[in-house]
Amino acid sequence: MSTVVNRPAAGVARALGAGKKYIIAFGLIVLLFVLGELTVSNFLSLGQFLLTIKLASFIALFALCQMIVIAAGGSGLDLSVGYTATMTAVLTAAIMDGQTSNLWIAVLVALGIGLVVGLLNGLLTAYVRLPPLVVTLAMANILQGVINVYTAGRNITGRPAPVLQIIAAKSTGIFPNILFILLIVAPIVMVLLYRTQLGLRLFGAGSNETAAYLSGVDVKRVRCAAFVISGVLASLIGLLLLGNMGIAFKDMGSNYVMPSIAAVVVGGVSMAGGDGNYLGVILGAVFLQTLTNLLVALGWGDAGKWLGFGIVLFILLIVYVSNRRGR
Amino acid sequence: MEEVGNRSNQTNPAAGGSAPRTVLGSSADGTAPALGRLLSRPGFSRLLILAVMFAITAVLQQNFFEPRAVVRNINAFAPLILMTMGQAVVILSGGIDLSAGTALSLLTCVLTTVMRKGDPVTGVYALLVTFVVALATGAINGVGLGYLRIPPVIVTFATSFMWLGIALFLRPTPGGETVDWFKVFYNPASVGGMPGWARAAGAYLPPALVLVLVGCVLWLVIRRMRTGRYIYAVGSNSESAYESGINTARVQMSASIINSLFIFLTALFFVGQNQSGDARMGDPLTLRAIAAAVVGGIALSGGRGSVFYALVGALILSFVNKIIFFANFPNAYQTLFSGVIIIVAIAGSQLSTLVERKAS
Repeated sequence: MSTVVNRPAAGVARALGAGKKYIIAFGLIVLLFVLGELTVSNFLSLGQFLLTIKLASFIALFALCQMIVIAAGGSGLDLSVGYTATMTAVLTAAIMDGQTSNLWIAVLVALGIGLVVGLLNGLLTAYVRLPPLVVTLAMANILQGVINVYTAGRNITGRPAPVLQIIAAKSTGIFPNILFILLIVAPIVMVLLYRTQLGLRLFGAGSNETAAYLSGVDVKRVRCAAFVISGVLASLIGLLLLGNMGIAFKDMGSNYVMPSIAAVVVGGVSMAGGDGNYLGVILGAVFLQTLTNLLVALGWGDAGKWLGFGIVLFILLIVYVSNRRGR
Repeated sequence: MEEVGNRSNQTNPAAGGSAPRTVLGSSADGTAPALGRLLSRPGFSRLLILAVMFAITAVLQQNFFEPRAVVRNINAFAPLILMTMGQAVVILSGGIDLSAGTALSLLTCVLTTVMRKGDPVTGVYALLVTFVVALATGAINGVGLGYLRIPPVIVTFATSFMWLGIALFLRPTPGGETVDWFKVFYNPASVGGMPGWARAAGAYLPPALVLVLVGCVLWLVIRRMRTGRYIYAVGSNSESAYESGINTARVQMSASIINSLFIFLTALFFVGQNQSGDARMGDPLTLRAIAAAVVGGIALSGGRGSVFYALVGALILSFVNKIIFFANFPNAYQTLFSGVIIIVAIAGSQLSTLVERKAS
């Protein structure tokens, strides 16, 4: 399923199967921990590792949105996930106001936001045929604008329902609860993608548009649906983010966009579409969070984080995606 | 000005090699009435829209034609115009540059880091160093786009974070110092010890306009060269360009570097204007420049459109922003409106292109 046949084998990784990409991602994580242990004292500890897992879970959840959109092909990417989540968090914080009884309204609002944003993205990319990147970037701007307007006259008030805090912020024993969410989501995603018609259509639209069309797949609708799924997921993740942070603020989701895309690339998913291995993506998320921890521990701050992410993404693109022409 | 005929290029994609000038009158086959022909030219409709926007702004802004207001408008429009022209070149070559805005931020940070306020000669060093950095950003993007053939969107997304990281290293918070004479890129009259003729010239020919003209001349020259034609060829059909012996990688590299020159010009203006560097200031310009290029008729699929009409697109977007400014909405609405305008503008352009194609 995950073999890419429509492009000539060029990169090192192209020849390697998905299994080997796991090993690469896993090796990178181990390498980072070793580097961290050598340069920063007390980098490798159980507490540190569990914290990494917790923060990586959020990246992995956002990366799921990206993976689905990328898998649907048509050079799909969703840059609006960050602000979709932020908008949901900002709006639902006031609705829930710390009451679990209001959770269902918040969930409905979240679904509504996700649906509208995803549908707009999907219609504009699949049917008006605009590049996903431009559409979703502009959508991110619009959502940011809506948040600005909403917060212009008032403070962001309200707190998440306690249930959300338990799910997103608390731990059971030593394990963060969000990890269990991921452990539930991951198998479901894998089954949906690899064992159902839905997954088959998604990968079909991504790997070979014409073939999929000729075998009766409505490629446009599939791609539109991918954006809707991405929007709804991002919106629901906004609830979890809110649960984790305890309060909502204007930029809470925007820093996840870059890592979510990078995680997909690190996870060895083809950027050309038609492929999607969520387990690899989760490893990618853990790798990126470990990298962040290391750079922060070294005192390089934001600058180091973004530079590090940029370089890692660039190098992995060269290894996994580049398609050099032999002249 | 050349206008690459949408239709002829489409019916014969392989003709990309000599596309820019051969197709000028091809849509006019003599059967349609003259007026209809004129209206159906994509370039004309854009000029018409521009004229309308211009007129509305002129009515709304009372002192529109006073020299001071003219200069102020030129200053406000120049950055987007320059960034759009650069972006247009990359898009024409079949790419897109998501890192343009952060590259601009990076250049302002480099400029203000090298310069020392009391030491005029550091301004020269800053110019040289920044020029080299600009070329480097273009070259790195060019390697990714051209030689490694990574999808343009994702590779420039990656490099944008590299530029952001470096810019934040140099300048975690906005600021920095500049030499006094650097204001020459914004307002020569405010530079101490400026000879009288230069002040006078600055009053009639604002530096922002000069920078835009430099950009126009740059593209005029390149378009006449082989590289200019190859950019269209590679953009409209990379495979056939490659098969007819064009070094597509080098062409895309050139396009990327040309773009970085436009970004360099923009950075000069910004630092002249603000006397400071800022690692985040360029971000919004990326998307606005892409949108302006689309409004100007640059096809995002590459190979179709004209850089000078992209300039028209940038003017249209600028005037629209200005008109909305006159409507006096609260500041909080700014991001929202600019986002909506961009979506509407690109969706509108795309739909009109689709309709045009169906009609032909």
